[in-house]
Amino acid sequence: MKSLFINTSNKQLIVSIIIDDSIKYIHSEENSNQLSSAIMPIIDEAFVKTGLKPNDIDTIFVTNGPGSFTGIRIGLTIAKVMAWSLKIKVIPISTLELMASGEKGLVAPLIDARRGYVFAGLYDEDLNQIIPDGHILLSEFEKKLSEYNAFFVSHDTFEFDTSVPKYDIVKIIKKHANDEGVNPHTLNPNYLKLTEAEENLNKK
Amino acid sequence: MDTYILAIESSCDETSVSIIKNGSDEISTVVLSQMDTHANYGGVVPEIASRMHIENITIVIEEALTKANMKMEDITAIAITYGPGLIGSLLIGVMAAKTLAYIYNKPLVPVHHIAGHIYANNLVKPMQFPLMALVVSGGHTELVYMKDHYSFEIVGSTLDDAIGEAYDKVARVVGVKYPGGPNVDKLAHIGKDTYNLPMPLDDDTFNFSFSGIKSAVINLVHNEEQRGNAIIKENLACSFQNRVVDILVKKTMHALTQYGVKNLIVAGGVSANKGLREKLTISCEEKGIDLTIPEIKYCTDNAAMIGAAGYFAYKLGRRADLTLNAKATDILK
Repeated sequence: MKSLFINTSNKQLIVSIIIDDSIKYIHSEENSNQLSSAIMPIIDEAFVKTGLKPNDIDTIFVTNGPGSFTGIRIGLTIAKVMAWSLKIKVIPISTLELMASGEKGLVAPLIDARRGYVFAGLYDEDLNQIIPDGHILLSEFEKKLSEYNAFFVSHDTFEFDTSVPKYDIVKIIKKHANDEGVNPHTLNPNYLKLTEAEENLNKK
Repeated sequence: MDTYILAIESSCDETSVSIIKNGSDEISTVVLSQMDTHANYGGVVPEIASRMHIENITIVIEEALTKANMKMEDITAIAITYGPGLIGSLLIGVMAAKTLAYIYNKPLVPVHHIAGHIYANNLVKPMQFPLMALVVSGGHTELVYMKDHYSFEIVGSTLDDAIGEAYDKVARVVGVKYPGGPNVDKLAHIGKDTYNLPMPLDDDTFNFSFSGIKSAVINLVHNEEQRGNAIIKENLACSFQNRVVDILVKKTMHALTQYGVKNLIVAGGVSANKGLREKLTISCEEKGIDLTIPEIKYCTDNAAMIGAAGYFAYKLGRRADLTLNAKATDILK
């Protein structure tokens, strides 16, 4: 199986081509600038270096959130258009699950969502979700975590120690290879948060 | 050989894709407007607009191809609005266009949104040069002199608010529903010019200023409220519209004379304004000016105009590579 992997939804830009269990190309970069300019040439490089064409890809794996709203949309737009036009199977992956993929034991990936909130979840080392992904006050999430012996991974800075996430893309692909593909037209971001305008309208 | 441009426009609150043949023949256009959603908020909410664009983008591209009975392989080049506009909205179109251009190995042609509005006129009849373009929209009020295709000389522009912006602000303070501009236009047609509003900047330049008349309307409404007098909305709309349309027409006619130009085209969302259309038509008939105003459907944001502009940009060899980024602001050139 030939897979294209794209993550633009958090601070780690990842583009990878994987054949079966073997990574043939990977570009993984923290704090990449100008994502919207950078990503397509990287995807082009991935195809050039592997000698493959977009049409050769069997499955696209793409993170669909939570994370940076704009970032999620950049990778997901590419995945949607490729999957729709070339009729390639596409499988959405949680950004938090991806962040948990390189660890052993119980892992709580965190993305700073500002004003005391985080996007967070809890995963075991087989990437089973123990606490579902959510947009939650950090203090509440810590309470939920108190019964577990988990450690935190994040690209952001908190008042307690966190590790920079290690990414194991092959592990993600193995776990999700047999997932059912999503219709590209309905493949959409999983923001886990309404826009402020919608929140304010709901309050009225 | 015929040139088929697939054009994508997502700069504000419309997701639109069009296929245009040779810069003038509309093969298919799909416009998905978000106006009803944004009406709940009294204006366009950028994050909601971005969210709706990504939900609709592949559906709209597919529908445009289906309506044209064409495949991506039949397309000559892809034209994309890269700016100006809402950055998050633009990005969806830009990323989709780059992906299509990449996987189908098609030329990618960047189009300035205002060039698109101007070239909407080429869908009505072939543009005749030299010409003067009056660009009127929510973000622009400009007189643009063109001696040939893609030669843009800005001879005058607004010093403060764009015309459409002034309309929207007046609509809000008078209590007219969103979308404000078109509704003020409607009211103006049933009202009388009874309010004493100042004439906007009326000098020898081709520049415009609408902040003064906007403030005058705001002050008038507040003063009348304090005195307990009701505002006659249709009359205030009529008085406001008469002043701004009069100055637009006066300065446009002046520019035509100064530059010795016989062709006038009108572009942008406010070219749908009936008051402006009526007065320009009369003045142009008097002066023997050939006036072109696009149909209403080509005045608001649409990809057909991007396809028309994209054709001429394509012929001139304008290209973008895969690093193309969306730009919130950019000068027409």
